[in-house]
Amino acid sequence: MPVRSLLLRLAGLLAVLFGVSLIIFTLTYLAPGDKAMAIAHARYPDAMGFAPEILEGIRQEFHLNAPFHMQFLHWLGGFVTGDFGLSYASGAPVWDIFIDNLGETATLALAALTLGLVAALVLSSLAVWHVGGWVDRLAIILASVGAAMPGFWLGLLLILFFAAQLNWLPAYGTGTAAHLVLPALTLAFWVMASQTRLLRTFMLEAYGLPFIETLRLRGVSEREIFLRHVLRHASIPALTMIGLDLAGLLEGAVIVELTFSRGGLGALLAGSVLARDFPMVVFLVMFFAVAYVTINSVIEIVQDAVDPRSRAGGAAAARKSGAQA
Amino acid sequence: MQTATATAAPGWAPVSAMRLFLRRLGVVLAAGGLVALAGFWLTPYAPGGADFLNRLSPPGRAHWFGTDQLGRDIATRILYGGLWSLGLAFIVVTVGAVFGTLVGLVASRGGRVLDYALMRTTDSFFAFPELIAAVTVAGLFGPGTFNLMLALILVSWMKFARLVRSLSLSLAQRDFITQAQLNGLPEWRILWHHYLPNIAPGVLVLWTNSWSRTILAISGLSFLGFGVQPPNAEWGAMLLDGKAHMQTAPHIMIFPGLAVLSAVLAINLVGDRLRDLLAEQHQP
Amino acid sequence: MLRLQNLSVQMGDAVLLRGISCALSRGEMLCIIGESGSGKTTLLRALQGLMPAHCDRFCFCPPGQPPVDLSGALPRGRGLRGTSWVMQDPLAALNPRRRIGASIAEGLYRDRLPPDRLKAAVTAALAEVELDAEFHDRYPAQISLGQAQRACLARALIARPALIFFDEPLSALDAMVQKQIAHRMDVLRRDRGLSYVVVTHDLGFAAAYADRILVLHKGRVAAFQDKQAFFAAPASAYARSLIGAAQALGSLTPVGAAA
Repeated sequence: MPVRSLLLRLAGLLAVLFGVSLIIFTLTYLAPGDKAMAIAHARYPDAMGFAPEILEGIRQEFHLNAPFHMQFLHWLGGFVTGDFGLSYASGAPVWDIFIDNLGETATLALAALTLGLVAALVLSSLAVWHVGGWVDRLAIILASVGAAMPGFWLGLLLILFFAAQLNWLPAYGTGTAAHLVLPALTLAFWVMASQTRLLRTFMLEAYGLPFIETLRLRGVSEREIFLRHVLRHASIPALTMIGLDLAGLLEGAVIVELTFSRGGLGALLAGSVLARDFPMVVFLVMFFAVAYVTINSVIEIVQDAVDPRSRAGGAAAARKSGAQA
Repeated sequence: MQTATATAAPGWAPVSAMRLFLRRLGVVLAAGGLVALAGFWLTPYAPGGADFLNRLSPPGRAHWFGTDQLGRDIATRILYGGLWSLGLAFIVVTVGAVFGTLVGLVASRGGRVLDYALMRTTDSFFAFPELIAAVTVAGLFGPGTFNLMLALILVSWMKFARLVRSLSLSLAQRDFITQAQLNGLPEWRILWHHYLPNIAPGVLVLWTNSWSRTILAISGLSFLGFGVQPPNAEWGAMLLDGKAHMQTAPHIMIFPGLAVLSAVLAINLVGDRLRDLLAEQHQP
Repeated sequence: MLRLQNLSVQMGDAVLLRGISCALSRGEMLCIIGESGSGKTTLLRALQGLMPAHCDRFCFCPPGQPPVDLSGALPRGRGLRGTSWVMQDPLAALNPRRRIGASIAEGLYRDRLPPDRLKAAVTAALAEVELDAEFHDRYPAQISLGQAQRACLARALIARPALIFFDEPLSALDAMVQKQIAHRMDVLRRDRGLSYVVVTHDLGFAAAYADRILVLHKGRVAAFQDKQAFFAAPASAYARSLIGAAQALGSLTPVGAAA
């Protein structure tokens, strides 16, 4: 049975990936403007105008005259075999440009995630220590404000204060570790806010479980109950939520990168969009979508493997919907 | 609270906490709307009215929030910006909610094949983070308000579809649905009288939540140049507009950001309270 | 009026009911007794067409309606005309976001009455279960469990059925309310000449009100007898042990004596 459900999940994943690529291709197909002209401009940046023969040649080369489904299959075929095309803007392979920029975003996201998680863990632990106390209230306020805070505005405030007023840190650009501090702080604040809220809820839930009371009656110390039982109970759902919020992290990274004029995937996406560099845009969107879908499928599969209840629930739900039809 | 219980007819259960909350919310919204209307009426400035003698003047009696680099009154622009930010997000989320609810109902009531196809489609759209989708559409179709809304609507309906589908699947097992079917009610009547009223509260909570998220997305995208374009007074677009002058005149960026923060915070708080009340209702 | 021969219910590989035969005349009350999982509720659901069921012969001839007489698979999905169904949990059986009056009126949906006559019918049905007309506009959360079960009974009565199925109609209620509603059910049955099929755990209730008793055990009939015969000489060892258990708990004699 597990093999069968795994196969079903993989089939579902493939169906979703197909859907994702169909959506993206349809968008590029519907986009206004002459794509042959865009390619010609990218290829011969100095030329002022193009002879119709040249444009027709490009259309032949890129199958732009073929019907929709043929274009789609051609494009999908290239994508599946690892041929992502050349950037219109620079002429370099899309993949190489992507790899050059990936590190920057990954560094930012990892730094922010670490910082935010540590802060959230400390804050929520202190909060549940005295529920209703001032730390708890502070945690709730920070979580609410963090969820409502526009990341770009927080970035601007930090720049204004730490870079412009105090002159401690560089405001814009990439390079040294000092450049990473403000962007990472901006993004970490969002991570901290969302994770504090979740961790606090999960910890309180764990404290409400009957076996905690049993442990207390047995004389297990509060410290040990917290470290060995409550924390473990709360961390599993919290880790799952991080996976689910990966999209939020990526979005945040894009906004922060652009706010601080950093390099990275966000800047690359924005730059490609403004330059109407179709292959680059399509590849980046595919990357974000595929990464998101894949990670979430893996999380679901792992959850199924770890927690027999969700598996039983899934089977019951399947049976119910079967009985319905 | 006292007035509400006192006005309730004798012999009736006291007005439920939910109704009380909705009534208060209505009062607050009406008051807020009146204040905003009064603002539109009272302000002597136009949102696009440049005044080059008063550029970048700090907050004061004539200009409560100061003026921007073209001498436009920031307070007035924030009022008009609210129409953009809140209004656009309102439209986006409402269209998404209606469409998502329809998809969820059809998926849950339309049989297994339709369910599978619709839910895999939903998953496919789920793969696009709002910002990425909006940036892409802006890139392919050109930046602007209409394309921004189109992009956000494209990626706003899936949460509603999933929620409505799961609520509807669990409702299908409930006894009162069985009774309605046995009594010969047609499917549309069961959907209208039994499914929708029981799905609506959950959708409302998600709607509130999505509204605030979409406000953040719209202002963020406008700030990055992919959404509402200056000189329109959207809050994010105002920040983009004033970014170059923020070191000399910080007030130019403080107030629009504060407006976004407080609007989103307020909507979130309402949504949280609504969710808690619903949870209480389910376990009386 | 109702006759089953060799009914069986199968879901996938699992046989939930097998070889169920019983019969019920007009104005009679049949109690179905058995432990949890013995297939009592399954039998009701199968008769309402909510589960795939097979029957050698199935007859249902309500007065004033064309009789149903068929063999093979029972029809699925739309319920058995001329019957209605009162469920175990009254709050689950009422839409929490619909006024009681509207829920009761659904029982008459097939008649397509104009609003004023529908409202009069609902008021009359409420009176039959001893509820005031003001319950019309209440929501389920605003009334007690017993009142909710009365409302469900009103919904079952309003369409003037010949046969009402009850699935443990009293088990969610406290003893006083149980007694009142059981009494009301009995009065209505006698006044109207209704037939009841009642699933219950409570042998005392069966002893007080039933005409016939069907005992289910592991999806099969363990006894199908008249009430007197059943209590005098149970048809199987399982039925005898059920009676013995009820007597040992003291739940059988007092209620039986009260009737």
